[in-house]
Formats: sequence, C-alpha cells, structure tokens
Amino acid sequence: MGLRAPYKNTRSHLLQWCVLRYRNLIDALDAAPGERPFVTAWINEDEQETVTFAEFRRRARLQAGGLRAHGVNGGDRVIVIMPQGIPAMTVFAGAMMLGAAPALIAYPNEKVEPSKYRSGLAGVTANLKAKLVVIDEEFPHEMLSHVSLGEESRLLRAGDGRGPGGEEELTDAKNQAGRIAFIQHSAGTTGLQKGVALTHGAVLRQLEHLVQALEINGATDRIYSWLPLYHDMGLVACFMLPLAYHVPVVMQSPIDWVMHPETMLQVISEHKCTLAWLPNFAFQFVPRRTRLNRRAQYDLSSIRALINCSEPVRTSSMQEFENAFAATGLKAGALQTSYAMAENVFAVTQSDIDRSSGPTRIWADGGQFRNSHRVVRVAEGSAGSVSFTSSGRLLPNHEIRIVSDSGTPLRESEAGEILIKSDCLFDGYYNRADLTEKAIVDGWYYTGDLGFCVDEELYVVGRKKDLIIVGGENIYPHDIEEIVASHRAVHDGRVIAMGVYNPDLGTEEIIIVAEVESEDLLANTVEIEREIRGQVTAGLGVTVGTVFLKPPKWIVKSTAGKPARCATFEKLQKEHPKLNVE
Amino acid sequence: MTEEAQQMIEYILRRIRKPTLVIDENTPLVSSGLVDSMALGEVMLTLEDLTNTRIPPGAVKPKDLDTVAKMFATAQRVGKPRK
Repeated sequence: MGLRAPYKNTRSHLLQWCVLRYRNLIDALDAAPGERPFVTAWINEDEQETVTFAEFRRRARLQAGGLRAHGVNGGDRVIVIMPQGIPAMTVFAGAMMLGAAPALIAYPNEKVEPSKYRSGLAGVTANLKAKLVVIDEEFPHEMLSHVSLGEESRLLRAGDGRGPGGEEELTDAKNQAGRIAFIQHSAGTTGLQKGVALTHGAVLRQLEHLVQALEINGATDRIYSWLPLYHDMGLVACFMLPLAYHVPVVMQSPIDWVMHPETMLQVISEHKCTLAWLPNFAFQFVPRRTRLNRRAQYDLSSIRALINCSEPVRTSSMQEFENAFAATGLKAGALQTSYAMAENVFAVTQSDIDRSSGPTRIWADGGQFRNSHRVVRVAEGSAGSVSFTSSGRLLPNHEIRIVSDSGTPLRESEAGEILIKSDCLFDGYYNRADLTEKAIVDGWYYTGDLGFCVDEELYVVGRKKDLIIVGGENIYPHDIEEIVASHRAVHDGRVIAMGVYNPDLGTEEIIIVAEVESEDLLANTVEIEREIRGQVTAGLGVTVGTVFLKPPKWIVKSTAGKPARCATFEKLQKEHPKLNVE
Repeated sequence: MTEEAQQMIEYILRRIRKPTLVIDENTPLVSSGLVDSMALGEVMLTLEDLTNTRIPPGAVKPKDLDTVAKMFATAQRVGKPRK
C-alpha cells in the first residue's frame, strides 16, 4: 500500500496563486459603493438600524480616532468586548484602519462566575499584550470586576460612533497583505489561550475562494446572521465577507435569536435574504420552536443557500428543516454544507450549490465503520447502515490528507484525522510557538477532526480531540473536568466530560461521569448533582445534560493510569443503553 | 401561586426531564443551569401562551426569565397584544 496522493481541488493546479482584488480588508471596505446598505441591526420589526457602507466607514474612522487618541498604533492588539451590533463592528474595523489587530471576545453574562471570566480574559490580554480593552458605554458596572487587564493594557469605553466626525481619511495606516488583520479565539479557558492570527492576505484569499464557490454578488445577495461575531463563522462569513465584497447583511444578536428562533424566518422573509450559515442544531431548533400554524406564513423563496457548518452535519436535522418549511417556497437544494475552521480563516470545503438534490449522501455498513473505520457502501436504508452527508469539495488552492493515529496516509473510504494545507492557513497561534509546533507539521495543519473522502468529497464524522460542541460552541472537556474534580464529593482526577449527540436537540449535550469519594455518598446524588451543575454553569456558562455519579474505581483507566474516555463511555453505554445514539 | 405559574413550573419540570424536582416561583432556573439558553425559546412560547401576550425580540434578556416569578413580571412589563 503506497502513500495516497493528497486530495486536491482539481482546479488548484490552474490557480497557482490567488490574485487579490485588494491589498487589504480596509482597501476593500473603501471600495464599496457608499450608498449601498451594509449592516442592518435587527432587534424586532419595530426596531432596526441600517447603515450604508459610507456611514459605516465614517463611524469606523471615528472609532479609529478614539483608539488612536488612546495610543493605539499599527501592530498593536485591541481586545473588543461589546454586545453584538454596529458599534462593536465599527470599533473592530476602526482598529484595522490603524493597522492594529482587533480580537473580539464574548461579552460576560450572569451565568459565568466573575473569577472565571476574569481569569480567561487576563490570559488573553497577557498573551496578546493588548494595548486596549474596549468595552461599550452600557457595560454594566457590576460586571467591571469581570474585566481584568494585563500590565500593559488599558480600558476604554467606546461610544457608538454615531457622533460627528470621522470624515478625514486615515492616511497613515500601513496595512500590508502580510500584516495580521485580526486574532480569533475559541471559548473556554483552554480555547482562549489559542489566538488564531490571520493576515489580510489569508483572509482575502479565503473570501475570494468562497465568493467564487458561492457565486456571491454584492448587488443581488443579502446575508442573514444571528451568529456571534467572536466566532469565526459569524466574523468571517457574516462580517468580513460582506465588508470586502460589499454584500448587505441583516444581523441579529445571538441572545435575542435563541429566545426567539422563529425571527430568523421573519427576517429572511422581510429582507429577502439569500445566504445564511448555521450550525447543525439550528436546522431542527428553528422548526421545533415555530408554531405549526405559523410556518406557512414565511417566504423563504429568496434563499440561495442555507449552509450547515461549524459542527458535524446531521442529515436528519437538515431534512427536518426542509420538511417543516416545505410550504415556504424553500428551493430544492437550498440546504448546503461546508467544513470550516478559524485556523483556515473559515471554509475548507463547500458543497455544490448548483446541485438541486443538495449535498451528496452515502450509506455505509455501520458495523464496519464503527469497528474498522472503513466506509463500505451499501444501499440506502439497508439494515445496520449509517448515512453520511458530504461537506463538499475543496476550495481552490486547498489540499487535505487523511491519516491514521500513527500519521500514515489512508486511502479513500478510510476514516482518520483530517490534515489541511492551503493558501488561507494561519501562520500559528499568536505568541504560542509551543501550541503551533504541535498543530502545524511540515506545512500540514492537524485539525483533530475525523473524516474520510469518497469521490473527492469530504465527509466529517467527529473530533479526535474530544472537543464538545454544543450548539456550535466549542467546550473543552478539561475545563469541565477541572471544575467537577474540585467538588468535595468527587474523587480528584476521576472525572470524564464528553459530548453525546442528542437527536432531540440536533447537537451534543454534556455528559459527566464522576466517581464519588466514598460509596455512601451515592445516597445523596441529587444534592451533589445539583452542586456540580451549578458549578459548571458558573464556571463556564454552559449547561450539563446528565451527571452520572459512580462508585469509586468505576471509571476505566488507561495504561498510563488516566481515565480512558472511550473505554469509559463504552462501559457507560452498556449500563445506560439510551446513550446509544447513531 | 397563580394557576399560570403552577402550569409554567410543571412545563419546566417536563422540559428538563426532572419530574420529581421541587422548584417554586423563586427558584433560580437560568443562573443555576437548570434551564439552558436553548430551552428559553420554548419557555418564551409557553409564557406567551399562558399570558396571552407577544413578547417582542430584544425586549428580554435571559436574566429576566431566571425565575418563574420574573417570567410573569417580564411578560407584564413588556408583553404586547397578540396579532
């Protein structure tokens, strides 16, 4: 068995380099037609604000002036902690106008314990050596204790940019394609240590590939988004792409949307949106929270592509959405897929939006796949079969390789870790050479995701790193385990947290298995469980699905003496068959 | 406790699959992690049904729904007639 050649986009040999239309993202913004609407911040049907590209530029320049007055210069890092909306976006763009690198961090909320938020933020400011931490004028006073600053950082309350000024162009910004445009962070204590530094060139190359694959036209397309701007999907697909390619975007706050999921349909209908990106869970979350008698009133006929991305694709979720909104004019083939990550700016693959049957689906023998990670194709619906939905083909100038645990390249239809090489790949985690050298080896980025290829299409099946993804949010098991292990009733080090797919939710939920210090504590599981839940929520702002409290020595240990995640889960499944989800 | 509040409590216990848990109108639900943000959409629909109101998007934050008592106070404060 020889080495399999890396999968390439068949066009990549024709496109040896990507000719960028602009030197940097700010030049792209400056080229936008001034009178064209850019961002509509949608709160409800009676409360919306739309800014044109010209007005956005003006407000961003005003913000840039404010940042510069507080000492921000080209090359500096600026942390932005502001609610989703136009002010946060203008501060972000304003920082880029100065040649500084902004980083958007999630706004604190009441669920997260202040000390945990402070510690995470302190880590980010220290790692980035941020010049400024920018908050909004309404940032709650009682939450100021959440904000911790490094020695070199200062706090600034930014205005909304509506005031006068901002007419003068900034002529001293020296944004080169190779300069860092912004820094992207994952959530959680561990994730906040990994700042993905992305250059203007990498971002523009990614956007160019994506625009070609999706045939995006700024004059006729309109993007809908509720995605958080601190997440790569929200930031790149729904802010940078519209900014650089002059596409109007209608944006909701994720907090408002999650409490009113049906508003997604209302906004798309009213504003005739053509494109949106959604994590898998949203495809069943929205139908299940839309009253039956209201579904047909919405008009989704404008949609060219609703792209499933950011967590593993589930065919059942997409079908539920299609079935629920069949009477809305939703076009056949409108639901599409993509595989993306911040380390590649965003998309690695994109399904064919011109395919009216939607992304490719294949069926495989379930037993062979689980036991030998091999895809043996069977007829649709065969007994014991599992189905997979393609994440599409590679974007131009992208290569992937599927490797085994030992790093051996695998053949088509064999599942293993996905490695990526592209012209959008990040250079490394900011200031973290230690993490970078583990992630990028010989130019290949080790994604930690598991997948396989069939007929030049990529199928993503899971995560090697055990990262838990709930509703598109990354949650690191270690963060949860650390909290639970500190509980007085839990034996130190004998905790495993994992994500288990819940078909009712369309996403994973957190499962915790913890050994109690002594058997008699099992008589008091209700109280202990309640405390564990509360502590995890307070520490990470996430909710736990199920807590399994087990007697001492229950968790399976690896040969190294540490809890063995997979073996423990198998044991758990035997005791609790309801956890067996395909 | 009103009948509507009792109905909301019963709904929440069914939703979080803990029928034997004891909660009252002032039990923290969101801040304690019992009710996650994804369940709030369903809670809002139930609240609108029980109060016969429409709660506009953007008028409510998760902390406004942290207890059953706060839910009904919020509906009274920001609720609008249904269309």
